[in-house]
Amino acid sequence: MSNELGTILQLFMRSLETGSVYALAALGIIIIYRTSNIVHFAQGSLGMFNTFVVTYVFLSFRLPLWASTLCGVAAAIATGFLVDFLIIRHTKKVSPLAKQIITLGLIMVFLGLAPMLFGVDPLSLPRFLQSGDFSLGIAAISHNAVLNISLGLVLMGILFYVLQKTKMGLAVRTTASNEPVARLMGVPTRRVTLAAWALAGVLGCLSGVMIAPTTTVTTSLMDAVQVNALFGCVLGGFQTFYGPVLGAYIIGVGRNFLVYYVSSIWGEQIMYLLILIFLIFRPNGLIGTKFVKKV
Amino acid sequence: MNERNDSSLANAKPALWKNPYLGFILFGLLISTLPLFAGWGLMKNSTLNYIGSVLVYTVAALGLNLLLGYAGLISLGTAGFMGLGSYIAAYVTKDMGMSFWAAAAAAVLIPTLIGLLIGLVSLRIEGIYLAIATLCVSEILLKSFEQADSITGGMQGKSVSYPVIFGHTFNRSTTYLLLVVVLTLVMILTHNFVNGHKGRALHAMRGSEVAAQAMGVNLLQYRLIAFSLATAYSALSGVLYVFFVKFSYPSVWNLTLSLLVLAAVVIGGLRSIYGTVVGAFVVWAVPDLILKNIPVLGRINGLPYIFNGILIILVVMFAPQGISGLWQAKFARKKKERENGKEAE
Repeated sequence: MSNELGTILQLFMRSLETGSVYALAALGIIIIYRTSNIVHFAQGSLGMFNTFVVTYVFLSFRLPLWASTLCGVAAAIATGFLVDFLIIRHTKKVSPLAKQIITLGLIMVFLGLAPMLFGVDPLSLPRFLQSGDFSLGIAAISHNAVLNISLGLVLMGILFYVLQKTKMGLAVRTTASNEPVARLMGVPTRRVTLAAWALAGVLGCLSGVMIAPTTTVTTSLMDAVQVNALFGCVLGGFQTFYGPVLGAYIIGVGRNFLVYYVSSIWGEQIMYLLILIFLIFRPNGLIGTKFVKKV
Repeated sequence: MNERNDSSLANAKPALWKNPYLGFILFGLLISTLPLFAGWGLMKNSTLNYIGSVLVYTVAALGLNLLLGYAGLISLGTAGFMGLGSYIAAYVTKDMGMSFWAAAAAAVLIPTLIGLLIGLVSLRIEGIYLAIATLCVSEILLKSFEQADSITGGMQGKSVSYPVIFGHTFNRSTTYLLLVVVLTLVMILTHNFVNGHKGRALHAMRGSEVAAQAMGVNLLQYRLIAFSLATAYSALSGVLYVFFVKFSYPSVWNLTLSLLVLAAVVIGGLRSIYGTVVGAFVVWAVPDLILKNIPVLGRINGLPYIFNGILIILVVMFAPQGISGLWQAKFARKKKERENGKEAE
């Protein structure tokens, strides 16, 4: 019995770790959605590209991992700025649908840039903390997992604090609720959008660095993260900032439990099917309200 | 190429040219002569293979163009449904030993039914959910292709032989001709659909969903029609792929392929049949046949993706109607210049 409980606890801890990866990526997607009204399909690809930067710096210049990660974060800010500065800023008059197509184009650009700059061979990135486990009596959790979980939670805590309690956060929220009016009221919406793209890039990069040690760094590194983060947004609803984060954690937990208890081969597919079925009953997500389109 | 769609131009031509089918059939005849060039040694056989696969992808792109151009919806499941079609076709002919026709029918019908179900679920909600739901489905399908060894051959892939139709065993050039015939038929079908009463309802929807609704157009029904057609076209394209390439691997049917199909539609031009064909050539043939042969530049990894990605972004930003839009604008300008010239006289 206690063994069974131990397994569940262990699974839950591991799910929290994958959940934080998804949640960070989902947060990036929702910030872009709320400020630029774009469903950011390229969040994973941007994260993949910047994780390549981290890995490349780590392997070529032999910098410590934290310093490499900082380089990646800097690259993420730079790519975020560039994307907004070169593309998104000039698409004010473009329909939301066309903006989505732009992010799909971005996926291809980064899918091509990564092998162009860093080669086609799969690279590998180590964990922040190589070894060590915390024992919780019936379950154990690695130091690295604890670091990832807490890093995710702390980052999200800071972001939500900034969003809700500071003037900067207010600017973001007003931009999110109505961009033209916010601009008329003197909110620097351009700077808000610019910052949002940089922030989304950083969140993508961090989620990439967290997921990289579990696999190899290739162009498909973030495919699963991107998909799960998007479903997190769908599950939580696109109307709030915290809904997608919640959705992402639920997907992290659900996925691992289905893979362990139901089927190691079909678990993930069952998870996706369940989300599709969920959409029938709550099309606007867990915390969503119906969006009424005015003519 | 300019006598379709644009009625003002068609009016200037003799009556025979008004028949749009003629254009499609001429186009079909033109590309069906390409194997001859390969036979004479004027063209590499590999080039013919590339062009054949472009034709295959064009079928899927025409379907997505209906969905994106008229219903304004994105599907990211194109590759998944293509893969499903290809595996069903392979399974029915190879493992069940049934005819080409049975295989084609099953391979188009089953994905279309699945598409209908997904459409029913996701189309009731605002547009963007279809993209996410189809992304979800294509992930499920891709994983299933890898796992369901007994049907799909797993990671090793599934092979088939060239089709046998009416007791006639096809080879590469005749299969190429089959592709051309199917593509021509699909183009005519699409043309008829778009200009029929269902197409008019879709046109109305595109103008204003609210106004179309007020005129009695059932939005859900027409979105479903557009999505089912897009799914059926992708599945058909998958069938053609598997019989032309004779192989189906899970790794082919990934998100990148769906994105490339989307790129073909956007670059070629929404709601344009010839534009889609041109778009498909730009997306698949230009990187493989032209960019690769440029000295230093051609050896850069990932160049085709960068090329297509940047092209999509540029087209969306600066030429929303794609290549066909640019083409039409050019002719409209020339016509105007001519008219101005006449007035001056």
